[in-house]
Amino acid sequence: MTRTMKYGLGAAAASVLLVTAFVARVPAQRPVLKARVVQTNAAGDSVHVIDVATNKVVGVIEDIEVPHGTALAPDGAHIYVTNESLSTVDVADPRTFKITNRIKLSGHPNNLSVTPDGKKVYAGIAQAPGAVDVIDTATMKNVKSVPVEGAIHNVYVTPDGKFAVSGSVATSIISAIDTSTDTVAWTLKESSGIRPMIFTTNPDGSTKQLIVQLSNYHGIVVIDFATHKETTRFTLPDIPGRERETDGIQGAPAHGLAITNDKKTLWATSKFYDYVAAYSLPDFAFIRTIDVGLHPEWLTIPPGSDNLYVGVAGKNATVVVDTKAMKVIAEIPVGQVPKRNASGMLQSQ
Amino acid sequence: MALLLLLLVALLMPQQQTAPPRPAPAAQPPLAAPASSALDYQFFKTRVQPIFLKKRPGNARCIVCHETGAPRLQPLPEGQTMWDEEASRKNFDAWSRVVTPGSEKSRLLMHPLAASAGGDPFHAGGKHWTSKSDPEWQTLLAWVNGAKGDGK
Repeated sequence: MTRTMKYGLGAAAASVLLVTAFVARVPAQRPVLKARVVQTNAAGDSVHVIDVATNKVVGVIEDIEVPHGTALAPDGAHIYVTNESLSTVDVADPRTFKITNRIKLSGHPNNLSVTPDGKKVYAGIAQAPGAVDVIDTATMKNVKSVPVEGAIHNVYVTPDGKFAVSGSVATSIISAIDTSTDTVAWTLKESSGIRPMIFTTNPDGSTKQLIVQLSNYHGIVVIDFATHKETTRFTLPDIPGRERETDGIQGAPAHGLAITNDKKTLWATSKFYDYVAAYSLPDFAFIRTIDVGLHPEWLTIPPGSDNLYVGVAGKNATVVVDTKAMKVIAEIPVGQVPKRNASGMLQSQ
Repeated sequence: MALLLLLLVALLMPQQQTAPPRPAPAAQPPLAAPASSALDYQFFKTRVQPIFLKKRPGNARCIVCHETGAPRLQPLPEGQTMWDEEASRKNFDAWSRVVTPGSEKSRLLMHPLAASAGGDPFHAGGKHWTSKSDPEWQTLLAWVNGAKGDGK
């Protein structure tokens, strides 16, 4: 009996050692990443997370009253949302859809953007005199407020991560913040308020052009990023026989931009005519329009996807356009007045 | 004597002309003319204003958007659950502008009402009521139709 116990204990101890050794040698399981679209609801209290493979809502982040913009951590570990009611950046876990952090900002926010390395989030402060707050994602702290000229509506980090480019509706000024110093490197005043922006890139990854939509301008403005000079502007097409939709435009007849993953097509929304319009790149030649519904707002194209996701504010839906077939393929019900969205690979359970 | 009479007349003249001009209202979409004289302030203060602060599931509160948007709601200081007299008066002035007294087509009624219930196609602040029989919508309608006092 004693011998059995002794051997038994010895075997148990050996098993524990073996298991421990095995566990120590097995690498930590990599999180599963799935392509997602995150859709904020500008007049709601939630954010919807859509699975790109199925075009179904797979999660709802609750308790964010008037969520403005969203940005996704490049490693897929966090969803960042600007919360207009609390003036915070809310951080949500993409696996549980629960809020894990609320980071106080220096003022009332609008949109935000994350650096390609995921280390910093820039949040535009939409009240005078204007600022862009810098969040350190390692500590989840607001570490700096960069003064800029005018209340900020949107801010975008360039694809190479070198600049955070902010735009003010009130002053019509674009401010490019050098992300290595978090100071303003250059500014440019446009003809009216700065609305959504997007970038084209050079073969080396540096930023080539800044494409901008402006207040009260039903069109697109193209700025050479190196010289900070406007090179061209053009209006989106009118639709013969169709009356312009002007109610609830909020000064932004065109309020959404996206570029396809092959970088060959630019998409833009028209709130005047409830369509999305396609233009070839780099020549900006008009291709066609596709009707998507009342008040189309922001656009996003997930990595590896040919589908364009449109926040359609007047439909309380995210509308999916197949950019190859050039047609609407899905309408996904979301919350109240969906506007800004973003897409990327997010961790899932 | 004539000079004295002139002075007396001047003193007895209504003083409205010398009152400071009211601040220009915030930028507004095309709206009905101010209708505050036909609308009851007390009813607005006690019955309508609480609707602007109430949280409805799925919706943002009116105050969150209209604190900066038009028509304007005065900011509510932290810790305060209702506007004071001065702020309520300003709210009354601003919101009377989106009402045509006696008209169910008033912007106040149509904008936040679901299109399926007869409301406008779009409200940037979302649709708060799916039916005209909703008690809150009925309260707004009562104010538009001239209800007075606390409405009880």
